[in-house]
Amino acid sequence: MSAALLEARGVSKEFPNGTRALRDVSLTVDDGTIHGLVGANGAGKSTLFTIIAGAIPPTAGSLRWRGEEVSWTAPGDSRAAGVATIHQHIPLVPTLTVLENVYLGELSGLYRRAPLMERYEQLCERLGYRADPGRIVEELPLGERQMVAVAQALATGASLVCMDEPTASMAQAEVEVLFDAVRRLRSDGMSFVFCSHFLDQVLELTDTVTVLRDGEVVATEDTAGLDEDALVDAMVGRTLHQMEDERATPLAPDAPVLVNARDLRSPGRLDGIDLTVRSGEIVGVAGILGSGRSELLEALFGADSRCSGEVTVRGEVVPHDVRARMAAGFAFVPENRVRQGLVPSWEIWRNVSLPDLATLSRRGVLPDHAAEIDRASAAITELGIRTPSADTPVTSLSGGNAQKVVFAKWLFGGSCVYLLDEPTVGVDVGAKADILRLVRDFAAQGNGVVIVSSGLEELLAVAHRILVMRAGRVVAERATTDTDEPELLALASGLTTVTGASRP
Amino acid sequence: MTTTAPRPAETIASRPAPSMRQRLEPFRLQRAGVVYAFALILLTFTLASEFTGRPFYLSPVNSANILDQTVQVGILAIVMTICLISGNFDLSVGATAALGAGVTLTVLNTGAGVTVAVLAGLGSGVLMGLINGALVQGIGLNAFIVTLGTMTGVRGLLFILTDGQSIQTERADLGELFGGVVPINAKVWAAIAGLAVLALGVVSLRRERMGQVSSGYGPWLIGSGALLAVFSLVFFPTRWELTTQVYIFAAIAVIAWLVLRFTAVGRRLYAVGGNTESARLSGIPVARYKITPFVLNGFCAALVGILYVSRFSAINPQAMTGLELTVIAAAILGGTSLFGGAGNVLKSVVGALILFTLINGFGVMNLGANYQDLIKGVVIIGAATVYVLAERRGTRRRPKAATP
Repeated sequence: MSAALLEARGVSKEFPNGTRALRDVSLTVDDGTIHGLVGANGAGKSTLFTIIAGAIPPTAGSLRWRGEEVSWTAPGDSRAAGVATIHQHIPLVPTLTVLENVYLGELSGLYRRAPLMERYEQLCERLGYRADPGRIVEELPLGERQMVAVAQALATGASLVCMDEPTASMAQAEVEVLFDAVRRLRSDGMSFVFCSHFLDQVLELTDTVTVLRDGEVVATEDTAGLDEDALVDAMVGRTLHQMEDERATPLAPDAPVLVNARDLRSPGRLDGIDLTVRSGEIVGVAGILGSGRSELLEALFGADSRCSGEVTVRGEVVPHDVRARMAAGFAFVPENRVRQGLVPSWEIWRNVSLPDLATLSRRGVLPDHAAEIDRASAAITELGIRTPSADTPVTSLSGGNAQKVVFAKWLFGGSCVYLLDEPTVGVDVGAKADILRLVRDFAAQGNGVVIVSSGLEELLAVAHRILVMRAGRVVAERATTDTDEPELLALASGLTTVTGASRP
Repeated sequence: MTTTAPRPAETIASRPAPSMRQRLEPFRLQRAGVVYAFALILLTFTLASEFTGRPFYLSPVNSANILDQTVQVGILAIVMTICLISGNFDLSVGATAALGAGVTLTVLNTGAGVTVAVLAGLGSGVLMGLINGALVQGIGLNAFIVTLGTMTGVRGLLFILTDGQSIQTERADLGELFGGVVPINAKVWAAIAGLAVLALGVVSLRRERMGQVSSGYGPWLIGSGALLAVFSLVFFPTRWELTTQVYIFAAIAVIAWLVLRFTAVGRRLYAVGGNTESARLSGIPVARYKITPFVLNGFCAALVGILYVSRFSAINPQAMTGLELTVIAAAILGGTSLFGGAGNVLKSVVGALILFTLINGFGVMNLGANYQDLIKGVVIIGAATVYVLAERRGTRRRPKAATP
């Protein structure tokens, strides 16, 4: 038997603060295979990735590349050997063109376009996908950027491509394109490590799956013999995922109207939206990226200064202003938690108290440190945030835990309407269940929720009613009980416009 | 999940005492480097004076002198730090200072009262700040470009208004208002300050013992307070002749520090600088927190201009050119981030003191003025290097410490 492409033997990693990120992890990737890597947040996937990429050395154990033991000490070493790593934040230069990015490593001396173009066309042939080589990367949608990153990996002659959450916030059509390219390259002899929270995609794409839990390999099996339940059980070690199979408890027919938005318009973003949220109701918003779903939440939160229209809470008009909307009970969990939700250099406690600093201060001016710490500690217990203490900087938390900190900002402020934008993106199954439970309990207390998500399954599980948006409008509205994933998907992508719009 | 009130007290009582690592945090090179550098410079000049047979370097006269020389840059370094924390940048302070001085003298020369003249000068500074702030926050122009423009434009305006001539005044009342010396009994006041610090330390330590939230700095406060009290009683002069301007400087420094460190306003300012979008979505009126630092900068720049003319009774349109760069250098020495969200006004003050101690020391040592700027340049780059290396080592040392 020929040696495997990449083999990790007994890899362990211990960080100085005592965290044991990996314990005796072994992993084998053969030539021409797609290897799935799944695990809850904090299970050690990212650490394993960085070790394979050569960015950090393991504390114990060894890596073998094509049968020879290697000790990569810098990302350059692994790249030279043929490993390309595509992180969640795609490492492209946003201001350069597609072509320049793909051949970034070779740009030296005179820049001659013609020979590169020739090679680019060949590359696209292999990939089965062609991005316009003259476009500036910044202008490309996220999915296309991911494809450019794959093309770049291909151009460097990589024989193993490690992808970390490549499909997060990708539309279904984009996912298909990526998967087609990956499969095509596999038949060419390339190998992939595919790391994702979308278990259906892992099952669809991969040949073998390794499941990590708390830094240990709990299973390595052929994908063919697995199903989603088995994966989830292995990942969380408990049966949490039933949460997702449930549907929302029906709403009382006489529930009073909590929020009423009329004719929300914002140039280039929203085109006349009406929305009603009743007390205890969870309203889901489906739609592809750029459909206006995030913009709708921003408008409701008063964060869109050009928005016109009227928003009332319990019958009273609330002006378009973040502070007025907050005072009326709106709370907003934005899509990008690092860029919009948190102050990255701050500790948990400072982040948690920020929106409600006035009430946590003596005479509204002098922040009461003890009260702030208490609130943060309460939030940590309540939401199950995994952290040594409230003093931990938010940058050192995993995705799911950081997201819980964003929730914690609004937990004690007396909010009555949650506006949630992709609250479970990049969040593992366990934390996802926690968050969905939090949303349900919040609504059950007579509050309202508007939730935007690319995960239609999740919307169907948690919402009472789903609005489908496209091009800044609501094109359809369905009770969760009357619809299913295929219909929503079709509506969102504009396949059944006529039937969708004709129904009330 | 319920939205309950924060935990009851019994869970808090079990809070563990801070670890030694946490206690030593404020002494790390990255955090306190500027203070070490200042102490080193003072020590060097003191020893050098001793060995070359010159008078005691830190004598009451010379120390008061250094403080007085630092006033203008020091005040501006404080507000510049505030501006940098908010994520902005202001190059126009030197020009605004000259404008404020010019307006004050012009109004004074029309025969108006000194209060009216000073208010007019300060008003012109506030106006400049508002213009900067409105252009940066309202239109969204880059702060560097806007203030580069206002810096150049205001100088030009001064040249037009004065036709290139200096403005003078014969009146002495401005000098009387901001000039003069107010002696202080340093022995007594420093001892009182030392005891106050000691008392704060005792309170902090008691809170810690009772398991309440505390900074963990109690032992240091007690130690340094006691040391200051004893040391001042033995060595400090009973008569320390500080100028009025030094008191204004000290007051601004203390107020700015207290506001940034202990109030919600300060916290929000750091949030706005640390992540503007997060701050906005947390309900903070971002525009206000972005524009106010510019206005403060304009106000304090005009104040500095007025302090300047109160001494010289004249200003030429080119006065205080390049002041803004010294001010920014002081802020950088103090470890202020140029990207917003981090900085400490007291450290910027120490940064300003370093720059002027160097100038003063070179004068006292008779080393020739030619070397001053070279040394200043080296110190600025050296400081930035130390901050970067200390930070890098801080992040690297952790993985190493873990390996057995």
